[in-house]
Amino acid sequence: MTRITIDPITRLEGHGRIEIFLNDDGSVQNVYFQIPELRGFERFCVGRQAEEMPVITSRICGVCPEAHHMAAAKALDDLFMVEVPPAGKKIRELLYSAFYVADHTTHFYALGGPDFIVGPDAPPEERNILGVIRKVGLDIGKQVFECRSRNHDIIKTIGGRAVHPVGGVPGGWSRRISNEERKTILDSAMKNIDFARFSLKIFDDLVLKNAKLLSMVTSDIYYHKTYYMGMVDERNQVNFYDGKIRVVTPEGKEFIKYPARDYSKHIAERVEPWTYLKYPYLKNVGWKGFVDGNESGVYCASPLSRLNAADSMATPEAQEHFERFYNTLGSRKIDGRYQPVHHRLATHWARLIELLYAAERMLELARDDEILSDKTRILPSGEINPAGGIGAVEAPRGTLTHHFEADSRGILTSVNLIVGTTNNYAPITMSLKRAAEKLITKGKVVSEGLLNQIEMAFRLYDPCFSCATHSLPGEMQLIVNIRDSRGNILETHQRD
Amino acid sequence: MRTILIGLGNPILSDDGVGLEVVRRFCQTPDLASRADTLELGAGGLRLMEAMVGYDQAIVVDAMETGSSVPGTVIEFSIDSVSTTRNISCSHDSSLGHAVSTGQALGLKLPRRMQILGIEAGDVETFSETLTPEVEQAVPLALTTIARFLEEWTTNP
Repeated sequence: MTRITIDPITRLEGHGRIEIFLNDDGSVQNVYFQIPELRGFERFCVGRQAEEMPVITSRICGVCPEAHHMAAAKALDDLFMVEVPPAGKKIRELLYSAFYVADHTTHFYALGGPDFIVGPDAPPEERNILGVIRKVGLDIGKQVFECRSRNHDIIKTIGGRAVHPVGGVPGGWSRRISNEERKTILDSAMKNIDFARFSLKIFDDLVLKNAKLLSMVTSDIYYHKTYYMGMVDERNQVNFYDGKIRVVTPEGKEFIKYPARDYSKHIAERVEPWTYLKYPYLKNVGWKGFVDGNESGVYCASPLSRLNAADSMATPEAQEHFERFYNTLGSRKIDGRYQPVHHRLATHWARLIELLYAAERMLELARDDEILSDKTRILPSGEINPAGGIGAVEAPRGTLTHHFEADSRGILTSVNLIVGTTNNYAPITMSLKRAAEKLITKGKVVSEGLLNQIEMAFRLYDPCFSCATHSLPGEMQLIVNIRDSRGNILETHQRD
Repeated sequence: MRTILIGLGNPILSDDGVGLEVVRRFCQTPDLASRADTLELGAGGLRLMEAMVGYDQAIVVDAMETGSSVPGTVIEFSIDSVSTTRNISCSHDSSLGHAVSTGQALGLKLPRRMQILGIEAGDVETFSETLTPEVEQAVPLALTTIARFLEEWTTNP
């Protein structure tokens, strides 16, 4: 193996650029993806009033502002040392469930779906939402848009503003839900459940009953035996809004379960000389490079990892699908819980099971009379937690943690965010490498399918670069450079 | 004729927020404010298409990075153009072109006229609520361009 050395000052930068380094034998040595680094977020925040953070952080990203809003509100509860009353918690989780339904729906039909429904070999111009709708029919297409629309309306109603909610305040939620609003929410939640059932049926009919696609899902491409992270409630069931962070080993044993406050005891960030990206890993396992297995601190935080990290789902129909998922993919139960599924393409299926859970949970919350209470908030006393405020939620793309520190007046002195996608930088790199290894041997590159397979590796994680950085224009502009061991570019593949 | 002016971008990422600033100034300009509904959006793609449903005419303003124009340059183009602005598509769902085709296939009522204004950005990687001076100077020019479109569309409905 040739050791590749590149002067750190020539760190790579670029938009959605993937660099594949070959060794002297012409096989893949390393793969990196590059996204631009955004600057100065902490500097932007320090000196502001802490209570601005739910609104500021929700602006980081145009795609999942709700997740940032919620994590920031939770970090403020902690910073101002105030316990949110039950109605406040339930209203927050209700909005968050509607957000999950809309977000997971969009991912499946617009991003994941094209690879399965239209097909992995279809030309790129057909692998998009229009291609999906042509394949599944206009009626289903209409339902997808109705689903997005009704949940966006609910987010607007509960959140107080479209797109970027403003309801989250330290100690709870700033508005109550009226009886009339509740009727609409109940109706939407029921429609969401029907829609989620129906989406799982589409996956069943088009993927699970299709031998070719099923074998693609269960093939060794993108198969990585890593640790898995996900938030769980006190019964070790998946929860998106609150609970402890649980990490399980590649065999499915609980490795650690910790409150969000302890994140820095368990998560460290690896800096590689090649890139500005920082790769989070499990501190108590250690960094061993972009490899899987028990000895490597690489972990994954995604819909698949949330299912793997939990013992079960908290709602009945999602639980039925959870069991079917593990049984179908050949996982056995050990000590009362399923062994993890390591096939990363199964993330798409896991996402639909989460969609059903979010819809069922939304209905449970909408039926709870407490959401009508006007005790949605407890006013903070003004005392500031000297240990800072830390809050976490499960964002659709992985565990999201906000950490704020403030002086005695509540003026921010330090801000740190670990966004969902960041957790998956190492696993994404590994899946990209696996795709490259399949297509490059002895310096020979199979160009056909290279971009497709790389796109599929990206899509299953649904990385949010808007959040981690905010760039990647459009439907995957991709530049893949293949370099020799000295860093010279041998080939460039590009799709605009 | 129902018209909507949509600003795209991130208000805390320097010049990325120029589209939003144009919309805010539009609303503060008495001669213009009543001539179109306005909306600010953080992401394009499906959300942008959905926001245009029910309107006859739409103007979308966003930052762009062609690298071939000086910061502050205002460029007009149509939805079919090969050029793209920073936020007009969404990497989590769709390009605007595919989103619009999807909307049309589903029978949604989309504007007959869609005009995109791109403003070349200087800095889109630093968190700040302030536009760079070159891009700030482009805001009145963008407003003049929008006024011209509204005028032309009124004369020639």
